[in-house]
Amino acid sequence: MKIVVAYKWTSDPEEATVGADGTVDWSRARPGISTYDPVAIELARGLAEAAGAELIGVTAGAKGVGSPLACKAALARGLNRVVIIEDDSLKGAGQAELAAVVAGAVRHIGDVDLVVTGDSSVDVAAKMVPTVLAGELGWPAVAEVTDVTGQAGALRVTRAIPGGTQVLEISGPAVLATSADATVPRVPGMKDLLAAGKKPVDHADLAALDVPAQSAVMTVTGTSRPARKQRKNQILDTTDPAAAAAELVKALREVGAL
Amino acid sequence: MSVNAWIVVAEQPAIGNLITVARNLGGPAGQVAAVVAGPRPVAEVVAASGVDRVVWCGAPEGSPAEASAQAVAEVVAADPPRVVLSGRNPADRVLLGAAAARLRAAVLTGARSVALDADKTTVLNAVYGDISEETVEISGPVALLLDGGSVPAASGDSVPIEEISSTPYGLTVLETNMSDFEQVDLNAARRVIGVGRGLKAREDLELIDTLAGAVQAEIACSRPVAEGLNWMGKDRYIGSSGARISPQLYLAVGISGQLQHMVGVVGAETIVAINSDPNAAVFTQADYGLVGDLYDLVPAITSALK
Repeated sequence: MKIVVAYKWTSDPEEATVGADGTVDWSRARPGISTYDPVAIELARGLAEAAGAELIGVTAGAKGVGSPLACKAALARGLNRVVIIEDDSLKGAGQAELAAVVAGAVRHIGDVDLVVTGDSSVDVAAKMVPTVLAGELGWPAVAEVTDVTGQAGALRVTRAIPGGTQVLEISGPAVLATSADATVPRVPGMKDLLAAGKKPVDHADLAALDVPAQSAVMTVTGTSRPARKQRKNQILDTTDPAAAAAELVKALREVGAL
Repeated sequence: MSVNAWIVVAEQPAIGNLITVARNLGGPAGQVAAVVAGPRPVAEVVAASGVDRVVWCGAPEGSPAEASAQAVAEVVAADPPRVVLSGRNPADRVLLGAAAARLRAAVLTGARSVALDADKTTVLNAVYGDISEETVEISGPVALLLDGGSVPAASGDSVPIEEISSTPYGLTVLETNMSDFEQVDLNAARRVIGVGRGLKAREDLELIDTLAGAVQAEIACSRPVAEGLNWMGKDRYIGSSGARISPQLYLAVGISGQLQHMVGVVGAETIVAINSDPNAAVFTQADYGLVGDLYDLVPAITSALK
């Protein structure tokens, strides 16, 4: 059994700065494995260990995603090897394009039984790459997955649904997007980092992958800073909580919020 | 007439906003059609919602909507649209992803406005947790993930439901367990209290409950309170991947004001923040800020309302 974990090497918009014209400056943001992807790796690792499966990481993006630091950070979390699609033409790639490239990588690896992803990327937070990826592969997708057990061909998947949980059985290959709290990833130790340095890294050539062209062409013609409501930023004196509360209630009544 | 917009629907017929967006695309005239993969009653609600056409992919008992993703994609591709839309529920996202892959469409998830003309679609799209907006021109089909809105009211005349059968993916529901958490529609609430990790213990939610009663507010939370701490249902967390709300009043209690949370409340009319840290980011995004211990301030506000 082969399990692929698709992860992203990217930065947190919390660390980016936005210019007056809406341009986003990432230069001070430190890239890392996207916040929820370690959850996906951990969940997949548990399944791989129980099922005796190979665990392969896949990432795609512009220059940097395949740096030794980035590969080590992913491998130290328990992947057996990684397949990297590092190509500057993927800078600013949309969700559909990234999904198509990851699908190409999954075909390149061959005989993959399951793809596991995180809940959403920390930068784009679209939650769409896993579902488009499933469409590309002709596989079913299930999102908000909290647990997986079993073997290829008979996977038992628990997922969150609005108001509860559901247990599904999946009889073929599938893409599973984990929920953000599916499990608590362990922090890699020095031993894991040292071992990571010796694991195989396959830099696959984007041009050599089987990736059908998109029929949609996207062009960004401008950026802007979102118009935000002006806030009053009024800090009330809370030395006396009761007085502060009375002042707040009065102010809220005046603006019609109560 | 050709189809301008397909709306894909899984198990929740809350598509009021999608119909509004689909009806106001502008450009050449075209139908607004819907394809439903969930239970038959969902298709019936959709058929009465004012769309021009409804296709229902009936699946065997015990198949979740996701099992019909490929069938949905085929329905959409048979009458290729300019735009395909869905709400943000997990199963809706799966259907939209399948349709997008089949159409080889662009995918956008932060559309603020969408306009069609003869040869291109222009979308104002919020990106990176809404810190910026991009104007994007797309030639070719576009898949849009949007807030679904509310369940549309019946429009009087229902369109007939076209039923198709298909071979679903091998997915079977073995069991469904509903949680004890009461479900909530935060979008319908006029006032909302958001609870963050400033609250020390689950029992202390009682304090918030009392305030919510006095303010007539729904209770919501930041992501870690629902995921991780598990103090509330997941439908109560606000933020870039949770609920986005525009109430009259949002009262942030013990919330630091991280970007991912605050993008969910930028539409609020008035924001009040209570936090013990005077440097918390939430204060720069609030109308009224109270620096102090929430355990003193929350009961004080509750009493002031009586």
